[in-house]
This record gives sequence, C-alpha cells and structure tokens, in this order.
Amino acid sequence: MHPDLESLFYKSEENFLEATEIKLFKHHIASLADRLALYECLRDQEVAIFQPVADQLLQAFPQQDPKLLEKSLKQWITVMRYATMAMLLNNPEFLQRRLLEWLTDVIQAHQTQAIEAKLCQLLQARLKEVVPGAQLGLIQPLLDQAQTTLLGSSSVYQMAN
Amino acid sequence: MISVADLTKESYLPGNYFAPDAYIQGDYEAGLIENRQGSRLIALPEVLMEAIYAGLERETGQASGIVMFNCGRWWGKNFYRRFVEEVSRYYNRPVAEMEMAEFLQCLKQCWKTHGWGVFELDVTHYQYGFLVVKVTNSAFAQSAPKGGKVPACFAEAGILSSFFSQLTGRDLNCIQTACESLGADSNSFVLGLRERVEPATAWLEEGQDHATIMERLSQSKSAEV
Repeated sequence: MHPDLESLFYKSEENFLEATEIKLFKHHIASLADRLALYECLRDQEVAIFQPVADQLLQAFPQQDPKLLEKSLKQWITVMRYATMAMLLNNPEFLQRRLLEWLTDVIQAHQTQAIEAKLCQLLQARLKEVVPGAQLGLIQPLLDQAQTTLLGSSSVYQMAN
Repeated sequence: MISVADLTKESYLPGNYFAPDAYIQGDYEAGLIENRQGSRLIALPEVLMEAIYAGLERETGQASGIVMFNCGRWWGKNFYRRFVEEVSRYYNRPVAEMEMAEFLQCLKQCWKTHGWGVFELDVTHYQYGFLVVKVTNSAFAQSAPKGGKVPACFAEAGILSSFFSQLTGRDLNCIQTACESLGADSNSFVLGLRERVEPATAWLEEGQDHATIMERLSQSKSAEV
C-alpha cells in the first residue's frame, strides 16, 4: 500500500480531511499517475533497456564466464523490477525488505562486486537514455539505494571513475 | 551474446520470501497471525517464555535443560520440513539445487522474521568438522533466568541440532558455548558429530569460554587425524 495515501486514509477515519490534507491527497494522486506511467514504460521496455547493458557488459568482461554475467544480469533485472514497484508505491522500504536485505549477502558470497558495479553503472546510463528527465527522478533514488546497499560505499568510487 | 529476452522469459523472479511485511500476515484485531502460505503462527509472549523456564526448573530441576533441548529437537524437525517445503515452493526448485548462499540467506531471514534473533553461520572450523552458529538478540536468551552458570538456550540448541542433522543427513549434536544471558555479545552454538562435540560439555562446566572450547575441539580433531 502507498504509505502516504494509507496515512491519509487512516486520518480520514475519524473526521473530514482538512484543506491542507486534501491538497496533499491531490498531490499524491497526481504523482501516482506519473508513477504508473513510468511503471508501464519500464515494464514494457525491460528488454530494450537491458539488452544494450548486457552487450556492453560482455565487452567489459570478455574473459568472464557468460553464465556468471547472466546471473548478475538476472539479479539486476530483479532489482529493477522491485525498484519499479517500490517507485509505484512510493515506498523505498518495499525494495529494501522484499529484495535488498536478502540479495546483499548472496552477491557478497558470489564475489562479483566488480561486475555488479559495472552493471549498475551501465544500467544507470541506459536509464538516462530511455527515461525522460522528469521521470528519472522517481526511479533514480531507488537505484541509488540498491547500489549503496548491494555494493557498499566502494561502488561510489568505482562509479565515479 | 547474452539474450535478455531469454533471461526474462521466466517472468517470475523471486525476492525475499521471509520479508516480515510479506511473511507475517493475519487479522491482528482478532489475534490471528499466519504466514504467507496461510499456516497459523503463534506468538510466544515473553512472560510465557519466562514461565516455561521457571515451571520446568521447578518441576524437573536439573533435567529442565534436557527437556527443553528435546522439545527444541522436535520443534526443529517440523521446522526443517516446513522451511524446506516453503522455500522450495517459493523459489520454484528443491533446496538441494539452491546455492548455499541463497539457502543460508533464507535461513537467516527466516530466523529474524520469526523474532529469534540475528543468525550467522561461521564456517571457520568446518575443516575440523564443526559448524558454529552465532545468534544475537535471541528471544530465548532474553527470557532465560538471570544469574545462571551455564548457557540457557536449550530449545534453540535443540532446533539447530535437528535442523542441521536433517540438512546434512548426519546425526549432529549442538552445544551452546556462549550465551547472552551470561553477558556474552552473542549466543554461540557448536554443531558437530555427537561424539566429537560431546567433550565441550565438560569444558563448559569447567568455565571455559567459546574461543578456548573451539581451540580444544579443533586440536582434538587434529590429533585424531
């Protein structure tokens, strides 16, 4: 459930919403339409977003076992799906609890941080090409959250280079 | 070339099955809680846990630890069955085909979501035939009587021995070597073949700490090899 809307529904149980709360409600509804549009865009373009990322990843790690690269790609496709849902719900906790808490140790065990960091970098660049600037602001914080949680602060250095 | 279309053909990409907001559901006002498969869960209030410790101590005296350990073993047997069933159904493959990292992560999340604490598996002594489980913020330790002389998470030790025995197909025993109720940072449990891990009980009664016990266990294994 959308936590901001849920909070307003909860408040409206005992009395009418006040003007400021109605204004907030309208803002969330308008924002929800934008979020839904972006959700549909990301869902429909999943392959178009990830195929160039996969091709560039293969070029970046030519010696690496393709199965390992496929595994990392699948993990980031999953991250993207959960991030998209979290964006629609406007709920970063959804991404954190439903995926990242579980995936972090799995990625660490695979010791594929360099691949994951590169993949994240390619994905972020690809999204800038596909998603209009205004909408990018809706999904970007969630990808940053995924990057920080999964790759830690070391990835910030790698991304910067 | 990697085909993303092939990778996404399987539209189901699962995440954290044991995420608390998804796993624990129910009608809180009616006092009913269940897991995401619809199986009933029970909440054990702290006062009940304390009463179990106190009641067993009064009724069975020194045997209370053994009683709780055996309850834990029985609990762990069913817990393992349910865990394997739920995890393989959600991830759509038998646990035997899961990667160890994924399986362990499921177990950790499961432990945490059930409110049993934060679970860590230490495989440092694996080469000597021992696994060490560390649990912090254990509900079992928090409810244990204060001022005891030996670790008190008997039920937890029973659950672990049964769970890992079924997982490995070997009869493993589990001995707790450090306990939050005695002021330790975390609860440590040593798992190993019954006859190999058994000497730890005597060392524990001597007052040896976890590190010393692990060192001695490893040395005894080295000597045998």
